[in-house]
Amino acid sequence: MSAPAVEMKQDKKLDSDKEKITGWVNVIRNNASWSWVSLPSLFLVWMLVAIPFESYILPQPWEVADEAWNEMMFPTVSEVMDDDGEITIIPEADRPSVWKFIAKGEPSNALAHLFRGELWPHVGWSLLEEVGGFGAAIIFSVLFGFLAGFFKGFREYIVPLNGLFMAIPPIAWAPLMVIIFGLGYTTIVIVIFISAVNPMILTIMEGVLQIQGQEVRAARVLGARKWQLFLYVYLPASLPFVTAALRIGFSQAWRALVAAEMIGASVGLGYMVQTAGEVGNSRLVLLGITMIGLFSYLFERTLFRPIEKRYEVWRLE
Amino acid sequence: MTKGNHIGGDNLVIEDLNFAYSNNLKIFEKLNIDVKPGEFLAVLGPSGCGKTTFLNLLAGFYQPDSGTSQLRGEAITPEDPHLGYIFQAANLFPWLNTIENVEFGLRMTGMGPEKRREIALKNLEMVGLKGFEEFLPNKLSGGMRQRASIARALCLEPHLLLMDEPFSALDEILRDKMNDELLQLWDQLGQTIVFITHSIEEAIYLSDRILVLARPPGGIYKEVINKLPRPRDLRETKSSELFWEYKKELNNLIQEVQAQAPLDESEIAELELGAKNG
Repeated sequence: MSAPAVEMKQDKKLDSDKEKITGWVNVIRNNASWSWVSLPSLFLVWMLVAIPFESYILPQPWEVADEAWNEMMFPTVSEVMDDDGEITIIPEADRPSVWKFIAKGEPSNALAHLFRGELWPHVGWSLLEEVGGFGAAIIFSVLFGFLAGFFKGFREYIVPLNGLFMAIPPIAWAPLMVIIFGLGYTTIVIVIFISAVNPMILTIMEGVLQIQGQEVRAARVLGARKWQLFLYVYLPASLPFVTAALRIGFSQAWRALVAAEMIGASVGLGYMVQTAGEVGNSRLVLLGITMIGLFSYLFERTLFRPIEKRYEVWRLE
Repeated sequence: MTKGNHIGGDNLVIEDLNFAYSNNLKIFEKLNIDVKPGEFLAVLGPSGCGKTTFLNLLAGFYQPDSGTSQLRGEAITPEDPHLGYIFQAANLFPWLNTIENVEFGLRMTGMGPEKRREIALKNLEMVGLKGFEEFLPNKLSGGMRQRASIARALCLEPHLLLMDEPFSALDEILRDKMNDELLQLWDQLGQTIVFITHSIEEAIYLSDRILVLARPPGGIYKEVINKLPRPRDLRETKSSELFWEYKKELNNLIQEVQAQAPLDESEIAELELGAKNG
């Protein structure tokens, strides 16, 4: 070891200079990814396609961005119901807006109207429903997935049921749930749960079955008792496919959520898209779609990627 | 390599052991083996004669249909702290780094983190892996992984070491080196070792006694007492006449076993499958 170390020291200066150059070349060569093109190209196509259309039919991206700004920031009171139940549409010029308050020189009123947009309740309720349905699905699928992985009898019992439920599009349950529970939170959560829990159970079960018998035997001869096997072998070994199950479950739940809200809700991103479509507000529809995609992406980046990174290191090639 | 403390070995007795995977796939009939404390026993046999099955029975992974296998007069279970098992693949836990792997057995006993780290470090040093504590198994070479797995087994100070072709995945030069190191360790620690191999030379170089397994159903075909002097040196040993006499004798024995009513392919497949599923 000592001889090469001396050599290394002598060449260190030279190497470090070389490394600086080749290092950057490699950074470019290895990291030259085309992924940055995908989103701009999508916007470009959108812009081109939208050119021949009137703005109220297919708006340009920036018009949707403008809509997003308004929906996030300002309450848009466009209709007022008077005491007789008659609806009056307020002309755009008379609607309250931050800009008008600023123009009028009433900054406190302007502040009071910030972040008061109608988008937030939709986003908030959708996220709450996702947390409820997906959260319940995590608890059930981890429990049943591990049980099915460990016990042959339970596996034989539950796999046909998973198959059956996965063959039925989850949205088909929505009308029934509306009849039983009415419009709202419970209905949506149940539909999400049904859609997420079945593929999650199957993924975790397959993973438990794949845990190498050799690792378990190695732990046993090192004196690991049953609960220790579970805690120190099955649990860490299961991290990769539990993450895979979370991913699958989350996206299944999120899709089902949007679909279910179109049928069985009075608030939420799906409901927003649905009602905006009914009144022909294409900007709001596109905003809803963008938000649905955006949250999916955010969860992927902030939740699943970091977990995956943790076990990528030790996975054998 | 640093010196380890003497551990000593236990007496292993196998009596009238019968084992079958199924009615038409009997592996052992009336198997009787007595391994003295501190003896280095090598078990030889062509593939498909149940070498791994034999070791799995010894370790208690499989239950014999009848008969007993006892360590110091007690039936062996895999969890027995006096038992160490070195697998063909190192079977390190890929999510733990080297030192955590080596500590694993001690951790299972509930030993505190500082004490077990100290013992693990000592054993890691003994197998020549000092400085690799923080490496994950996928960053170690095949030989280093196997060294780590030996250190992991030695931490619990087992009195009986079962080794299932531990170096068969390594190239020949490394394998000779590992065998030398194993002999040195055994010389210091003095455990009973049962070493499975399909290499005749490896068996002769290492052992005090060599068992040649018969075709199933059966047991031991022949036993050869190895009188090569110790301490052994690979070059010296291999240049001695006795070494080549043993080699010739064992070669003939293996040929004879292979000439016995051979298993057909499907039976061998079933045997290997059974060994894996256990």
